[in-house]
Amino acid sequence: MDTAPRPRPAVRFDNVTKRFGDTVALDGVSVTANTGEVLVLLGLSGSGKSTLLRHVDGLQMPTSGGVEVLGVDVPGARGRELRALRRRIGFVFQQFHLVGSLTVLENVCTGALGRMRGPRLGLPTYPRAVREEALAQLDRVGLADRAFQRADTLSGGQQQRVAIARAMLQHPEVLLADEPVASLDPESAHQVMELIREVAAEENLTVLCSLHQVDLALSWGDRIVGLRTGRVVMDSPVSELGRDEAMAVYARVGSAAPLTTA
Amino acid sequence: MMTEPAATSPAATEPPAPSGGPHAPAARPRTLPLPGPSGVAALLTVLTLVGVGVWSVIDLRINVATLLSSADNASDFLSRTLPLDFPTPAELAGPLGVTLAVVIAATLLSVVLSIPLAVWAAGNTTPGRPARTVARALIVIARAVPDVVLAILFFRLFGFGAVTGVLAMGLHSVGMVGKLYGDAVEQIDEGPRQALRAAGASRLQELTGGVLPQVLPAFVATAMHRLDINLRISVILGFVGVAGIGQDLAHALGRLDYQRGMALALIVLLLCVSIELLSVAVRRALLPDTEQRPTGVTGLVARLRPGTGARTGGRPAPVDPRTASAEALASGRVSPPWTPERVRRTFYVLVTTAVLVGSVAYSALDFNGFIDSNRGPLGVLAMFWPPESGGIGDRLLQGLVVTVQIAFAATLLGMLPALPVGVLAARNVAPSRRVGQVCRMFIVFVRSVPELILAIVFVVMIGLGPVAGTLALAIGVVGLLGKLVADSVEEVDPGPERALRATGASRIQVFFGATLPQALPAFVGHSMYQLDVNIRAATILGIVGAGGIGYELLNAARVLEFGVVTLITLMVFGVVMVVELVAVWLRGVVGGRAA
Repeated sequence: MDTAPRPRPAVRFDNVTKRFGDTVALDGVSVTANTGEVLVLLGLSGSGKSTLLRHVDGLQMPTSGGVEVLGVDVPGARGRELRALRRRIGFVFQQFHLVGSLTVLENVCTGALGRMRGPRLGLPTYPRAVREEALAQLDRVGLADRAFQRADTLSGGQQQRVAIARAMLQHPEVLLADEPVASLDPESAHQVMELIREVAAEENLTVLCSLHQVDLALSWGDRIVGLRTGRVVMDSPVSELGRDEAMAVYARVGSAAPLTTA
Repeated sequence: MMTEPAATSPAATEPPAPSGGPHAPAARPRTLPLPGPSGVAALLTVLTLVGVGVWSVIDLRINVATLLSSADNASDFLSRTLPLDFPTPAELAGPLGVTLAVVIAATLLSVVLSIPLAVWAAGNTTPGRPARTVARALIVIARAVPDVVLAILFFRLFGFGAVTGVLAMGLHSVGMVGKLYGDAVEQIDEGPRQALRAAGASRLQELTGGVLPQVLPAFVATAMHRLDINLRISVILGFVGVAGIGQDLAHALGRLDYQRGMALALIVLLLCVSIELLSVAVRRALLPDTEQRPTGVTGLVARLRPGTGARTGGRPAPVDPRTASAEALASGRVSPPWTPERVRRTFYVLVTTAVLVGSVAYSALDFNGFIDSNRGPLGVLAMFWPPESGGIGDRLLQGLVVTVQIAFAATLLGMLPALPVGVLAARNVAPSRRVGQVCRMFIVFVRSVPELILAIVFVVMIGLGPVAGTLALAIGVVGLLGKLVADSVEEVDPGPERALRATGASRIQVFFGATLPQALPAFVGHSMYQLDVNIRAATILGIVGAGGIGYELLNAARVLEFGVVTLITLMVFGVVMVVELVAVWLRGVVGGRAA
């Protein structure tokens, strides 16, 4: 609405196919996300949303096709190069993936590992500058006062906010979120989505976020990509989608499977 | 009057319920399943195992007469051992220090070796299939070679110093520690690790940041458990020549100085108990978070100061979260506050570190270089190959049979009290809290008494031979099998128990109808495991004169017949393997989980 989409794509999938044995998880997917765009992936469980996200930072590699992220050819990247790319991409998971027995602050600090050499054991082994920045990121998500609690003493919504702080400590250019609110109550879900939208706007992040709920997708996304059995079945800006239309599209995604098998 | 016949007539017309049933068909349907072939085989196997146990008990002449005559000996035993002759503190300090240093350094060595092996052996962290195979093979080999045999080997290389004890116990311990560490790594939540990888962390950073914090409590608990085991083993190593309190004990018994010997045995027993208590304390201090709410004085302090006791998640409600967060940021504090909790914890970590460093330093100081320098390590290894009988093959076979008999007899005799005591110790079965607690405390008490000390006492009391070893191991069974049985009874699904109780079944009916059927596979598995443990232990106990092949092992080492040492090791390993195969098959048939 406010800024015109920039021409440079941050993430580009070109005819990507991924097979696990006989299963086809992604089937000729071509998707582009421009810099600063919030792209929502909609689809049922098993439609390929998570697999697509994991291809962006090379946690999985395509069977065929091209993935280019931030100017890097992902399937061609290995080792150090891949690590360097991952550092520029934040990832937020459905199950938060914090280490419950560590303090909140140390969990956030692990976001800085990608730009540090060697392993770290315990909070004091992180440089003071990293700890200070981690505290600032924690305050950004409103939880600096919880810095020295164990992570597993926080509620689900709070843990997800800590996970976002961890991702922000990477100084990412792209933020991936895999069902970030699927395990949360509606109020916490709202808070977390607002937070993602907020930090994305402040840092001009490109966001790829998978969701189950059409309502959330319509309120938080710039563009919606619908997936079904590994194929892109819808790709359109939210502004061009009416609410009913989007619901219908999502419903079609859901109900189409029996039609094709019949 | 009029109503009376009307009231009785329905009762009179009722069918005689219990005898016939309303529809008794001509051909009665089968109400019991036909036993399957594997079921019959399993039953026969169990019966055979029990039969071997009975035969062993009879053949070893463990009977009322023997026990009565040993009761006679008991008074004699007391006159020989009393008054106990305790060493002066100054006399004791040296050997005690050596023993503790060797045991701690050995446990540390096993931990240091086990961590990389566990990372390689665990399916989720292994760098590849070949690495995994190698790591697992090394762990199995470490467990297969007894520490006593390793000690015999290392004497030739490093002499009778502390280094030999550290290496022998440390390497053998890898068999258990590495296995348990690998299991712990395989059980972690993969999520945090994946998150770190997604953030660009290296492989090593993933392990230290995502895996280690999750497995640390299990790692520390296993290390403390192994420390306890190694302390007991160190006494045996004293008999084959490693310095320390075990050697003093061996020397005292060697010169028939039972007053000193039993005093030292008592000291070892106290040492085992205090290490056990220390292990509980260290676990609490290093890992306070694994416990629930803090209790006692520290708990009271935490509850009186809700602001600092935030660890429990108490919500200081009315403050606006944004303000609280901003204040925390403004405070600029990026290290945890020095709560009494953290001070105490840091203190314990420092003490532990000091003890570890001291033990390693002491053991290293005792290193005098290679002894058999003209032969070299490979030359020494070559002395152990090929295995040979040394012309006493039939004696070795006889010894092996006696060792196996001791193991079978001890397992059978020990099971008789261990099963009921273990079952009664389980919270869900114990007829009252008190009974459960008494049984559990009895098990804990028996567990804290080293079998070796029992064996020594029995050898002194009854005389050299397999009866002493059998009785010692049988008592040990109450400690180990009793605990395993209690745990597996408590782990059964409580649903069927509740269902039976709801039908009005009595306590005993509930136990036999719901609890026992669920726990039975575990009983079989644990008993087979106990048999395996006893075969290894019976071998070792032979060294202190409790009968069996261990005595030949000690002799072979004394007369430098190292080929015989190897042969004995292989023979015992073969028997253990056979028992293990039977156990695996039996567990599969009975449908239990791995013990």
